[in-house]
Amino acid sequence: MRKVDPRLAHIKPLPTPDPDSNAYWQGLSEGKLLLQHCTVCKNVQFYQQAICRKCGSEHLEHRAASGRGTVHSFSVVHRAPGLAFKDDTPYAVLLVELEEGPRMVSSLIGADPLTVAFDMPVELVCEKRADENVVLPRFRPA
Amino acid sequence: MTFSKSNITSHRTIRGKAAIVGAGRSDIGRVPGKSVMALAAQAAKAALADAGIARSKIDGVLSSIALAAPFHRFSVAFSEYFGIQPTFSNTLQVSGATAATMFNIAAAAIAGGLAENVLVLSADSLLTGLSADLALRALTEGRDQQYEMPFGIPAANTFAMTAHRHMKEFGTTSEQLAKVAVIHREHALRTPGAQMTTAITVSDVLNSPWATTPYHKLDCSLISDGAAAFIVSSADSARTAFKTRPIYILGGGECYTHEHIFLMPSLTTTGAVHSSAKAYAMAGCSPKDIDVAGVYDCFTGTVIMMMEDLGFCPKGEGGRFVDDRQITYGGSIPCNTHGGLLSFVHPGFPGGLFHFLEVVHQLRGECGERQVAGAELGLVHSLGGGFSTQATTILGTEATL
Repeated sequence: MRKVDPRLAHIKPLPTPDPDSNAYWQGLSEGKLLLQHCTVCKNVQFYQQAICRKCGSEHLEHRAASGRGTVHSFSVVHRAPGLAFKDDTPYAVLLVELEEGPRMVSSLIGADPLTVAFDMPVELVCEKRADENVVLPRFRPA
Repeated sequence: MTFSKSNITSHRTIRGKAAIVGAGRSDIGRVPGKSVMALAAQAAKAALADAGIARSKIDGVLSSIALAAPFHRFSVAFSEYFGIQPTFSNTLQVSGATAATMFNIAAAAIAGGLAENVLVLSADSLLTGLSADLALRALTEGRDQQYEMPFGIPAANTFAMTAHRHMKEFGTTSEQLAKVAVIHREHALRTPGAQMTTAITVSDVLNSPWATTPYHKLDCSLISDGAAAFIVSSADSARTAFKTRPIYILGGGECYTHEHIFLMPSLTTTGAVHSSAKAYAMAGCSPKDIDVAGVYDCFTGTVIMMMEDLGFCPKGEGGRFVDDRQITYGGSIPCNTHGGLLSFVHPGFPGGLFHFLEVVHQLRGECGERQVAGAELGLVHSLGGGFSTQATTILGTEATL
């Protein structure tokens, strides 16, 4: 296991793509949120992996999501999880239910975090982080 | 998810095969000047003294990991530190649920002949060994590095989103959440050594700063230092070889429904339904038979949801159940009579072991003014990882065998 180095605690954790998720992060850099569609059982899944979680098939296609969804649940963070997120508070972590069915974690952009509500319609914003070579999927009110 | 009947009513069982014969703890709260290993050794010595045996009698060691002492093989590292060479050992990691799994696995190892006297142990130093900020960051590192962590999702946040949804679906209120914190504080005020020592009111909870909505600071568990340890031995030797009144392990069950919070099947019904069903079936009892409980209380809403999923009240009624003071003395199921993670102590992985410590003391009848009269049958439920890990253990006195 990893012990947090106090000298690095101010740096935000960033995703490191792996062989399962390379296409996902590449898709985001092109403005698309890719979901996996199983061609055998029609299951739609988030996140990307080598097998369908429902039927075990390896026959999976990447298809871009509409980017539309609703807020299934949320929590506005006032006490940051460590130094890296202290300047961002308050911010709203969202559990978004995508139009295609799967849920994902994201955070609100482009609106007052205190205005988030259950079942609020939201839409995808592919946010290029200025300081890092990564695009994160965030959501704004639709 | 489906469970076959044979899964639940296997003829193979740990019921009555092993007993807790020693229990102890270290100094707790803010404990400067003691390493994680020193805390662990202090707790292990206390458990051995309680049982009345020498450390040479230990042939098995089960532990959790420790965030402030990140040995990959904590149980092995501790054995070296403590000067023992066990022939059965493992370091378990299913977050907060690790506590109950250690007892279930210790009982199974003893029943299967792998060990005779198992030391169950967990220690950490989150407050002085890490600092509150680093402890929160370390706990956050437990979320997925690609799909959760980049959004600044504290460990608390996953639990907060489930509680929030519970409020939406069932009308659970902030005042009901606060009531859980108030009752836990009442319990801690009766418990020597508790980290929190001043009474609080519902309005104190509601006026404390937001942590992550719907949780205020006082809806959240503590950050502490501390260790607890137990000796689990075969039922055959438990009756004669130790100083204490044996507390038998009667049933155990676990359930793992997801890893990521976004794949939790329902935000308001957890795998505790299944882990407890297995444990009740093995023990041969039902929720109404339980006299005293230790229920993982990392946040106030967690207790409300667990009252429902462990079968102490119907789904959706947990808020009213705590509002009616059913979780304290005079209620239908006194819970966390030591004050729990909310008000007694929460050093991370060891936290769930203090629920065991209290329920063991209750079943032995050693709780003085905290004693639940006539307690014979107890339940301890541990959970973690945003409700991804669930483990239940049912304990009882000789009379319940």
